[in-house]
Amino acid sequence: MISTEDLFNILLLIAIALIFARVLGFLFYKLKQPAVIGEIIAGIILGGIAVFAFSGQNFIFFDYILSTPNLSKLFQSSEFILFAEIGILFLLFISGLETSISKLKKTEKASSFVAVGGVILPLILGFLSGFVLGFSVVESVVIGLILTATSVGVTVRTLMDLNVLNTDVGSTILGGAVIDDVIGIILLTFALGIGSLIDAVWIGIRIAIFFLVFLYIGLKVIDKVLVIGEKLLLPKSFLSITLAILLLYSFFADEAGISGIIGAFVAGILIGQNVRSKKIIDDVKAIGYGFFIPIFFVSVGLSLWSNASIEIASYGTILIFIVMIISMSIVGKVVGCGIGAKLSGLSNIESLQVGVGMIPRMELALIIVTAAISHGILTGQVAYTILLTTIILTIVTSLIAPFLIKATFKNYK
Amino acid sequence: MVKKNKLIKDFYELKVSQLMDKRVWDLPLIEEKEDIHHVLSILGARNHIWVIKNRDSKELVGVITEHDVLSILAPKHFPSYVFGMPDVRSIQHGTANTAGDVMANKIIMCEPDEKIIDALMKMVKFKLRRLPVVKDKNIVGELTLHQLIRKYYSATQYHPILEDEEG
Repeated sequence: MISTEDLFNILLLIAIALIFARVLGFLFYKLKQPAVIGEIIAGIILGGIAVFAFSGQNFIFFDYILSTPNLSKLFQSSEFILFAEIGILFLLFISGLETSISKLKKTEKASSFVAVGGVILPLILGFLSGFVLGFSVVESVVIGLILTATSVGVTVRTLMDLNVLNTDVGSTILGGAVIDDVIGIILLTFALGIGSLIDAVWIGIRIAIFFLVFLYIGLKVIDKVLVIGEKLLLPKSFLSITLAILLLYSFFADEAGISGIIGAFVAGILIGQNVRSKKIIDDVKAIGYGFFIPIFFVSVGLSLWSNASIEIASYGTILIFIVMIISMSIVGKVVGCGIGAKLSGLSNIESLQVGVGMIPRMELALIIVTAAISHGILTGQVAYTILLTTIILTIVTSLIAPFLIKATFKNYK
Repeated sequence: MVKKNKLIKDFYELKVSQLMDKRVWDLPLIEEKEDIHHVLSILGARNHIWVIKNRDSKELVGVITEHDVLSILAPKHFPSYVFGMPDVRSIQHGTANTAGDVMANKIIMCEPDEKIIDALMKMVKFKLRRLPVVKDKNIVGELTLHQLIRKYYSATQYHPILEDEEG
């Protein structure tokens, strides 16, 4: 049981984390950069302060001894990590709520081709990079997966600035990014439970059963469940039932041997299709965006400090790995999505624009690496290396994508 | 007092079909594929438009309110902190071109056989002032709060609630 002192120390940490996250997030927003980068950097700064100034040392001023709380230990406590893990569930739940099955059905051929091309090639290139540099097969698969999912926010803002969002390129990127997110989440589920080819088949069957039972049947009965929630005439009881569905789906997905996050995503899709979701979507976003999700991004930055026993000499190898992965992430999307776009009938320059527009990676890449670490697939120095690489990958791809997109649209009408 | 209590109870028990506006030809209807400028021209005079698949079947597929148009008419502010499928609909960026692009497709509706009390509760829960009346997916009328107020008030003034079938 948590002691009162620890409890209030953790509440203090959460308060500091939220303030840092929002202040740095806002600074990055003002610099026209994704706020998420600011929140991750908030975590890195907080972790640094905790390690160097609040590690339980005693400071002596003349005769007065000042004892500081051990913040770095508390940041790694299971209570703090629990909030961050709930943040991941909210992030995927909201993504599911915003995903329209009817819009996905209407997705044009080009988007599907681009998504598939943009998943396959980065996955292969990431896997090969990891394998060549001495990572195990499963670790290499995770590296490949990190490169699969596009974060479309940066691209959309750039296309809006260029006033080309309504072109074939714009609509293809938007559709492709949504599909590659879904593929990325499903592939992650495979990666988390995979040990052999037989495992892969078995997980595939479990995913299919989960989707069949919890999505298909859920679509049939969710309305009745939500009506019950509506009839409980207590303040926000409908929201409570919705959150209970999110947590139950995560629990059952985990019990079924597939990742809990896929349960959150499926619950989001399911409730998002229902007309009653109009009532709760703003409340869910308020809880997620306002509390749990910033804590997740801060915790990503903080977790860089959890393994400080890296030898200085290994940073050279890590640097090579980072450069290689960033290069593969760019080549993988430009070529993979570009080939998909070309096959769907877009011109050479349009295919290049689509490929470049799909470069940014962010939330799903961070979720994949965090999930792999918490499932014990990545441990020790490997976990640290891949986490650091992923954080730098998300920052670099988000920062350079707007310049590359603008360059490909130069002199293009 | 007892008489008034009875009146409101009778009012609640009425069917939607007894109080709704049945003049479908007079409702603000638009086909899903029609141009955004046609939407704007209707909304210049009305507060909402029901979106139907086509004029023949009148299958209801969405609704457009002034608020939906506000979000596409104002300069698009794409938040820096958003996950999932982004909403990129905007007149400025040419991404809202038809009624189907702008409409909300999650529609709270009622059926002709529903009681007025159930329709009122839907209006309360979802903060709505009007509901489409739908039978076999097709719009057959409209129930507005304005109509309900008018009908109830007129009943309190000793006029029969159902005196005017046309609403």
